[in-house]
Amino acid sequence: MTQLQARGVVRAYGQTPALRGVTFDVAEGEIVAVTGPSGCGKSTLLHCLAGILRPDAGEVTWRGNRIDTWSETARSRLRRTEFGVLFQFGQLVAELTAAENVALPLLLAGTGRREARTAALTWLERFGVADMADLRPGGMSGGQQQRCATARALVTEPRVLFADEPTGALDTLTGEQVLTQLVRLAREQRTSVVLVTHEPRIAAYADREIVLRDGLVDHTGLGLDVPLAGGAR
Amino acid sequence: MRPATLVRLALAGNRTDTARVVLTALSALLAMLAGLAALTVLAIQKPAGDAWAESEQYRNALLREPGLRGGTAFALLMLAVPVLALAGQCARLGAPARDRRLAALRLAGATPGQVTRLAVLETGLASLLGTLAGLGVYLVGRELLHRPDGQGRLALPTDVLPPVGALVAVVLGLPVIAALATALMLRTVTTSPLGVSRKAARERGPRPWAGLLIGLGLASFVAVRPVVYRFEGNGVVLGWLVPLLFLVGGLTAMIGVVIGTGWISHTCGRLLRRHARGASALLAAGRLMADPWAGSRTFAALLAAVIFGAGAAAQRAYFVAQDALEREQNRLAGVDDGGTNPFYLSTMDLVDAAVAVAVLIAAGGLIVALVEGIVARRRAYAALVATGVPRSTLSASVAWQALTPAVPAILLALTVGTLLGRGLFPNVTTTGSLTTVCDATAALCDDPATRDQYTRVVQTGGERAVAVPLEQLAWLGAGTLAAVLVTVGVGLLFLRVSTAVDELRTA
Repeated sequence: MTQLQARGVVRAYGQTPALRGVTFDVAEGEIVAVTGPSGCGKSTLLHCLAGILRPDAGEVTWRGNRIDTWSETARSRLRRTEFGVLFQFGQLVAELTAAENVALPLLLAGTGRREARTAALTWLERFGVADMADLRPGGMSGGQQQRCATARALVTEPRVLFADEPTGALDTLTGEQVLTQLVRLAREQRTSVVLVTHEPRIAAYADREIVLRDGLVDHTGLGLDVPLAGGAR
Repeated sequence: MRPATLVRLALAGNRTDTARVVLTALSALLAMLAGLAALTVLAIQKPAGDAWAESEQYRNALLREPGLRGGTAFALLMLAVPVLALAGQCARLGAPARDRRLAALRLAGATPGQVTRLAVLETGLASLLGTLAGLGVYLVGRELLHRPDGQGRLALPTDVLPPVGALVAVVLGLPVIAALATALMLRTVTTSPLGVSRKAARERGPRPWAGLLIGLGLASFVAVRPVVYRFEGNGVVLGWLVPLLFLVGGLTAMIGVVIGTGWISHTCGRLLRRHARGASALLAAGRLMADPWAGSRTFAALLAAVIFGAGAAAQRAYFVAQDALEREQNRLAGVDDGGTNPFYLSTMDLVDAAVAVAVLIAAGGLIVALVEGIVARRRAYAALVATGVPRSTLSASVAWQALTPAVPAILLALTVGTLLGRGLFPNVTTTGSLTTVCDATAALCDDPATRDQYTRVVQTGGERAVAVPLEQLAWLGAGTLAAVLVTVGVGLLFLRVSTAVDELRTA
């Protein structure tokens, strides 16, 4: 069953076009990798799908409802309740402990403090960083921070997880460990994942790969190699 | 690096850098004007005659009476304190962009010393620009305002000019102080080719040493009266000891309150973290505990103004009590006299106006600090908004963060200011004497046969406690809190811009 749809999505930054009419679907529980060279519009597409950005033209629908016409507040609520968002870096609140960071989305949803902490500890345990619960991000390694961030993105058990280069700041081994855990947990709770990456090895974790070039879908398929900037493979 | 290159690089930058330079120059201009005004008041020549001979060429008693000029100059200098604090806040404006620029210079081969010199030079040049402009405004202003009235009296001391040496010292001294302060602040900063890093804040919260400093300040003020009695007649000792007690007392109490705000912030953060139910309070608690000194830096000038204002309120209460006591004694003595203190009370109106101006300037610094804090965290805020955190939650957290330490800190400043004032003037006393009063006509009073019938002996003199000026303190506290609320409101206008998703596109 299709959960998320993009139809002819266009978005520009000033005079510079980022997306020039992108169309594709994401099914329930499906893991889709969006790949392509730098500047091809991967992150912009993810932001439009997650309701962070409004497209200049085209439609984004979530379970049959056009969300690109929704107000900022409504889209914000959708991201808080149905979506999870994960970035390359910078998303943890530096002043809060790991447990507080993971509990934050639950507190925003009105969950009690004690229950939120219990859930946060459970998710930190799943990602193997329970012993970091009372540390601030500054006291953790990059990999540990990213595990916490992934736990925070999944703690509300979202229907779709948007991940923008989630392993971009990590070394190969740590990156693969984080991604393995993310994919396993997403599959367990049938969360769809839209994964933006420029690394073929990361894209290989996806069920389907969509390659963007110059703001358009170049081709889609399974286990595709990502074309390099010069066009070589 | 050649000096010309150094100057060129120091003044390079984007619009935020230009805004920082302009605001720094403006702060220096205002501080320069306050300093020049104080120097001008001090430059008024004492007329020939006894110590109480007045300078009759002025309309205002604050300038006419030699005994009041020192206090007037001190009050004008006090106005420079929030202005300099504003300059300090302005120095932080656009810091992330400047940090990136300095890191790029390091990457291009500049040494750590060279980038430090660039930052110091920027502040120094901007301040020099401000002090020179301030001197110009002062010189033009004294010409324009030199308008004697019909009796040849002046509203302002536009007929005197401070010594040239003093003018040069202020014009050059302020930029040097500003540059040295910048160099001092940069001691905790390391600029590498990969970016700017600051020494990590202490994990352990601030200790309550502030209490000791506040106690020392209060003790100094309480000691003034006994010292004056002890060394009565010894002008040499009193000449340096009393000002020293005032200076030490005022400064230590003020530093105590400012440091105390760090402790208050940390404690409030800890309590908030323990009991917070919502995300906004939790975010604020985290920030308060992570950098409790932010509150001290942000509120320093405001709290200094509140301490000064509360002290002035206590002083006014003393004048009111003295006035009431004198009126009562005059009434008992059958003398129709309105008391001797209305002049002092009207003088206190001017002091209150100066406090209000100081609070306003300090509030300006608060806006700069608040906006800078938001801008510095724009990427983290944008990431939170992208993950669905409502902007209202972030707004509430910024408000929590500002108001949680502000309320107890303002109460502490009010208390300390009042105690300083009361330490100096705990009660009103007048010299006692026995006065014979005759309540009849002159003929009856002069007649020995009837004089005793209408005559009574009145004992004047006595002591009266000075009331705590609760109403004035409440107004001062409420006004300051309102200023904080307004600045928080203005600061929040920048939150929407700083949470734009575009922030996620830049590292």
